[in-house]
Amino acid sequence: MDEYFTIFIGIYLPYITLVVFIVAVIYNFFKWIFLPRPIMWAIFPAKKSLANILFTIATRIFSLPGPRKFDKLIFTLAWMFHIGLIVSLTLHAKYIFIPHLPYEYEVGTIAGMLAAIGSVGFIIRRYVDKRADSYFADYFALILLIITLSLGQYIRMFRVVESTHLWTWVQGILTLNPIPPPVNTLFLIHIVFAQIYMIYLPFKTLIHPIAIFYGQKIILDQRHFKG
Amino acid sequence: MKIEQIYKVFDEYRGLSDSKLHPTEPKSEQFLKAFRELLDKKNNWPFLLPLRLALEACTHCGTCAEACPVYIGSGRNKLYSPVYRADMLRKIYKRYFTLTGKVFGSLVGAKEVTEQDINAMAEAAYRCTICRRCVLACPFGLDNGLVMREMRKIFAELGIIPEELKEEGVDNQLRYGSAPKISYEALMNILDFVRGEIEENRKNVSIEIPVDKVGAKYLIINNAGDYLSFLDTIRGIVEVMNYVNVDWTFNSPRTGVFDNVNYGLFYSDKDMLRVIRAHLETINKLKPEYVVIGECGHAYDVLGHLMKDLIPAEERPFKVIHIVELYDKFLREGKLKLDKHKNAEPVTFHDSCKIGRCGGIYDEPRRVIVASCRDFREMYPNREYNYCCGGGGGFALMSKYNFLDFRMKTYGRLKMQQVKDTAASTLITICANCKRQFLDMVSYYNLNINVSGLSEVLANALVY
Repeated sequence: MDEYFTIFIGIYLPYITLVVFIVAVIYNFFKWIFLPRPIMWAIFPAKKSLANILFTIATRIFSLPGPRKFDKLIFTLAWMFHIGLIVSLTLHAKYIFIPHLPYEYEVGTIAGMLAAIGSVGFIIRRYVDKRADSYFADYFALILLIITLSLGQYIRMFRVVESTHLWTWVQGILTLNPIPPPVNTLFLIHIVFAQIYMIYLPFKTLIHPIAIFYGQKIILDQRHFKG
Repeated sequence: MKIEQIYKVFDEYRGLSDSKLHPTEPKSEQFLKAFRELLDKKNNWPFLLPLRLALEACTHCGTCAEACPVYIGSGRNKLYSPVYRADMLRKIYKRYFTLTGKVFGSLVGAKEVTEQDINAMAEAAYRCTICRRCVLACPFGLDNGLVMREMRKIFAELGIIPEELKEEGVDNQLRYGSAPKISYEALMNILDFVRGEIEENRKNVSIEIPVDKVGAKYLIINNAGDYLSFLDTIRGIVEVMNYVNVDWTFNSPRTGVFDNVNYGLFYSDKDMLRVIRAHLETINKLKPEYVVIGECGHAYDVLGHLMKDLIPAEERPFKVIHIVELYDKFLREGKLKLDKHKNAEPVTFHDSCKIGRCGGIYDEPRRVIVASCRDFREMYPNREYNYCCGGGGGFALMSKYNFLDFRMKTYGRLKMQQVKDTAASTLITICANCKRQFLDMVSYYNLNINVSGLSEVLANALVY
């Protein structure tokens, strides 16, 4: 692959991605803060204290009571996908601190497979399920994820990139002393797609954590303005 | 009028008359203007955040559909899926009010509005009772029911509102004191009849029905429809209040509004506030300590909850409770001596959406029923997961054209099965709109079940 292109996607693009992602997420979070507090619009049983509301939101993020009760398939897929993704991203984030973790290949492989199965399941469900119309934007996000996850899985399983090199590359970006990324075509495609996804995500719909926070808070909050 | 004679704009049913909808007239400009105003902080502060969340954060997963009684009851017709109906508005929102929608158009689900879309949306907004069961299914807590309510608000700005809610509802209520236009004389005659009936049934019991008493502890405001269609409930209230011998009163048209309903809740914040103001004016003349909402669901939602955030505390120097909370209080205070064998037949209870899911009252009616009835059977699902009966959102009042068929063949069908499964002979509910829907259901499906309020069941169990 062209050297300039490698440098662009391994050195410049990560900064562009981080800036766009962070700014867009912060903007997305704060634009809702400046909307007026709504009328009490709870679904009962609801909560009377902020601590209780926040605790319940935290538990609902993991327990997904709605999908668990009404749609077991999406509940299962969501669990596979999100747990897989969280573990996978955590294993990526470790490069901020250390190059290796014990059993990381095994754990990462399982996590990547769970996330990939989940996202393929989502696509099939969208296509087959006729309760809601899906648009190109909905498929596009999933396709980006599947490509990224599949390549990542291949790279991890066959250890095509030296983890020490990855660590130094991440360290370089974080310390503002970037070095060229590992030169491997599949790896470079993997990070290109991952970065496109990160740039695209905040513009697709409101990202999940922000939507959950505001949406669940409204229906859990039974406090009136006064009395 | 047969359905063939009017335009079909969304499905095979019609809830709005042609004289309201004007299906052949262009409305897109007005529609977009009203939509823009709906998204303005000043115009719509109470609902803007949940509305915009529902419009921007939905991922079209479709989980909400499985929670929706009209979707399930219709045999899973996609037209009635909450996400499908909300998407009708969401597409327009994206196209005209988001950058991505303006740039990427249909790729992100944005769509230019057409006159056909507007007609279809006007009807679609009246296929949802806004029971908000779908919110429980959404992982984010998004409210597609609210989207339907906000859609109704847009159409209200265009004058597209069912006559049953506007002219025969809010306008009558504000002009005559009650939606069914009951005069003072008629009300007093009804109450005289109730008094006579109780005294005849309960020998040696003297009944008083205070009306328009200033400074009473409890001012009970009923759904005026109960005075005409559910007189047993009024009889039950009068009997229980006499039994516990507390300071209470009804009110009449002479004090202003004596009908607790607020149909503005179903289509317009402006009309909802007009009715709230009229209620406040009436209540403040009578200066009660408690305003007790008679057996009505949406009235409790408005006066018991929404009013608290819309009206400053100093303008409402009274507490609002539902009558079932009052009964429960009497029960816990030992003021009610009951013989549950007087209600020996199996009974079941319907959790009204506005009292349960949106109001938080679940245990109070159950305690009262268990104390008054020998054989109480829960229907399943219940409490916050209970299915809407199909009378909510103003539907109980709407029967013109073939709208009764819609109510019965979707919501009604599902609810009927749920009630049948209990094998109860009496169905108790504490909302007048639910009662009306159930009565229509009994007649439509020729069911052998008695529909009752809680007041008459409780009164029947009293031991003198």
